[in-house]
Amino acid sequence: MTISVFLGHQWRSFWRARNANKSLLLQIILGIFYFLIFLEIAGLGVALPFLLKEKMPDKDPVALFCSYIIYYFLIGLLFRFQLQELPSLSIQPYLTQNIKRRSMLRFLNVRSLIHVINFLPLFVFIPFTVVVIAPAYGTLAAIAFLVAMVSLVLNNHFFNMYIKRKSINSIGWLIGIVLIIAALKGLDYLKVLSFENTSSKIFVSFLHHPLLCILPVALAIATFILNNNYLRSHLYIEELTSNRKLKVSKNYTFLNKYGDIGEIISLDLKLIFRNKRPKSLIILSSVILFYGFIFYPQYLRTGNFTVLFLFALLITGMFITNYGQFLFAWQSSHFDGMMSYNINMKQYIKAKFLLFVVVCSLQFLIASFYGFMDWHILPIQLAAFLYSIGVNSFITIYAATYNYKYINLTKSATMNFQGIGGTQWLQSLSIAFGPAVIFYLLFRFIGFWAAIIAFCSVGIGGLIFNDMLINWLAGQFNIRKHKILEGFRER
Amino acid sequence: MIEIKNLQKAYKGITAVNIDSLEINAGEVIGLVGNNGAGKTTFFRLILDLIRANSGEILSKGKLVTATEDWKSYTAAYIDDGFLIDYLTPEEYFYFVGKLNALSNADVDDFLKNYTAFFDDSILKKGKYIRDFSKGNQFKIGIIAALLTDPELLILDEPFANLDPTTQLRLVDMIKEMAVKKQMCIIVSSHDINHVSEVSSRILLMEKGKIIKDIAGGEAAYEEMVEYFKVKTA
Repeated sequence: MTISVFLGHQWRSFWRARNANKSLLLQIILGIFYFLIFLEIAGLGVALPFLLKEKMPDKDPVALFCSYIIYYFLIGLLFRFQLQELPSLSIQPYLTQNIKRRSMLRFLNVRSLIHVINFLPLFVFIPFTVVVIAPAYGTLAAIAFLVAMVSLVLNNHFFNMYIKRKSINSIGWLIGIVLIIAALKGLDYLKVLSFENTSSKIFVSFLHHPLLCILPVALAIATFILNNNYLRSHLYIEELTSNRKLKVSKNYTFLNKYGDIGEIISLDLKLIFRNKRPKSLIILSSVILFYGFIFYPQYLRTGNFTVLFLFALLITGMFITNYGQFLFAWQSSHFDGMMSYNINMKQYIKAKFLLFVVVCSLQFLIASFYGFMDWHILPIQLAAFLYSIGVNSFITIYAATYNYKYINLTKSATMNFQGIGGTQWLQSLSIAFGPAVIFYLLFRFIGFWAAIIAFCSVGIGGLIFNDMLINWLAGQFNIRKHKILEGFRER
Repeated sequence: MIEIKNLQKAYKGITAVNIDSLEINAGEVIGLVGNNGAGKTTFFRLILDLIRANSGEILSKGKLVTATEDWKSYTAAYIDDGFLIDYLTPEEYFYFVGKLNALSNADVDDFLKNYTAFFDDSILKKGKYIRDFSKGNQFKIGIIAALLTDPELLILDEPFANLDPTTQLRLVDMIKEMAVKKQMCIIVSSHDINHVSEVSSRILLMEKGKIIKDIAGGEAAYEEMVEYFKVKTA
């Protein structure tokens, strides 16, 4: 059995997955979307030297680029811990077939390589090498540099695979590497030891002595062998998956006093924390909290409150959009049960709404620290927050009653479009950009406070009438209940 | 307990369930038998309002299951693992179902004590989520969670198929006892005509969505079913 047969099966499993082939239009839009992302990253590779030159004109761009490479690979490792999965379960059906272990190993290794995170760096390194290094240092040096970079990517890849296979949780490694990065950066900052200089020296030396690129190649081969040997001796399904930790029953006591509603909310919390896909969405929502550091200052300077409001909407309301678009679909694997347990639909919807309010309030409270940047942030975020929980939450629940697609909780969220249809895209857009346009018009033609007060009062209005709205939503849900159930049963 | 009038459900023109009239009473144990595709599971889902009928009505205690949610408070079912919340531990799942029916965790613990033999020490305090249990053990969890709420109407889809022999026999005894002691109405589907004729007070034989036989349970029913299924194979 050759590896192409395995990969052929994977290819088919990708395209024949439920919901994968449904809408050609969506596929095309996604295709364009990815193409643009790749183009942008490649553009970054080309533009990087010029950017570096502009920021720090007195330094050599190549040396500067090289000084960050070591950080790049360390941070890359962090992302790999989060984003990369072991492709082990895909070999389960083959284990009992008449297939040599060697070809199975080869398949596992090659299959694991097929991941965006391995291709993205090439889009930076290749243009950079071709445009900057080749003219300055010659073709041989450029090739050596590229070989070194690719080897380091492979080294990172197999190292991550090895750690993930070997240790039960990679959290220790995760923290360890964060500490290493912090320590290196700290030493650099305190000018005790300069790792940026060291990094620069190491990688620039590849350019002067192209033969040195044998070292990273050897390193990559060593990691590959390490990983491969481990795999060979552990080719059993239970050893390939890294889930041997004892699970503990939890009881969120603070929710106990809210009766059934508290019970449903705590179920949602467990769903989020115990399943890969919702968990990564939560991580994403918390990362977005930091957007303020990046985007607020520049728009504060120009006084562009509309864009600030748009970001405030994202920062305070991301959980609603992210979690809410699959509000019911998260429970699709046991929705038959949810609909026959002794749960009143109105309470069910209310619990979902309260979950939004609780998480959103938390995000809002944390984001309020941005008020130290400029006091304008506070009213803007307050308006965005009230609007999110008072209006967007209901729109999201309503839209969720139109989502009939099953979701597999255990698949990771990155690049996972299972359960996403055109409506979800439209919804995410309308939920953020619609209000921003209205904010702009109000701000432009009446004034800052008019816009703030308008959004605050609409949000408060929604909260005041929440009971009525929830009643109505429960009715809407019941109209489409059977359709939702039918869709979720189709896996 | 359950009253069915002119119930029809078809998928793409093919009849799945077609029952003119049927009445099921409290205290009855109904054995639902029929080959694959006879419409047993579809029938169960209709009773639980999980699918919409093309026409006809199902009344539970005189109320339409499609119009109210009242039936949820006295109905419990286990059809397949779509009823289990698989990222919970069994204990958490039992507590969850218990809470929805106003049982405290202590109540649930007391209840579970009666089933230590049934669980055979392989369910509780295992430090595993439900998704990590074997199919048979998941089935045990589902059945006990259904019993936990002390329902008046209990629906089990092929409970014997996934259980080990000891548990099968235990379940037979449990079903008989519950029907008598609590006047529970129990509907069980099964491919095991032996067990089903033993537990059931009444047997409904389904074929292509229709109930073609409605007979009393027991030895005679067993013989009749053997005759029926033999003819099918010949």
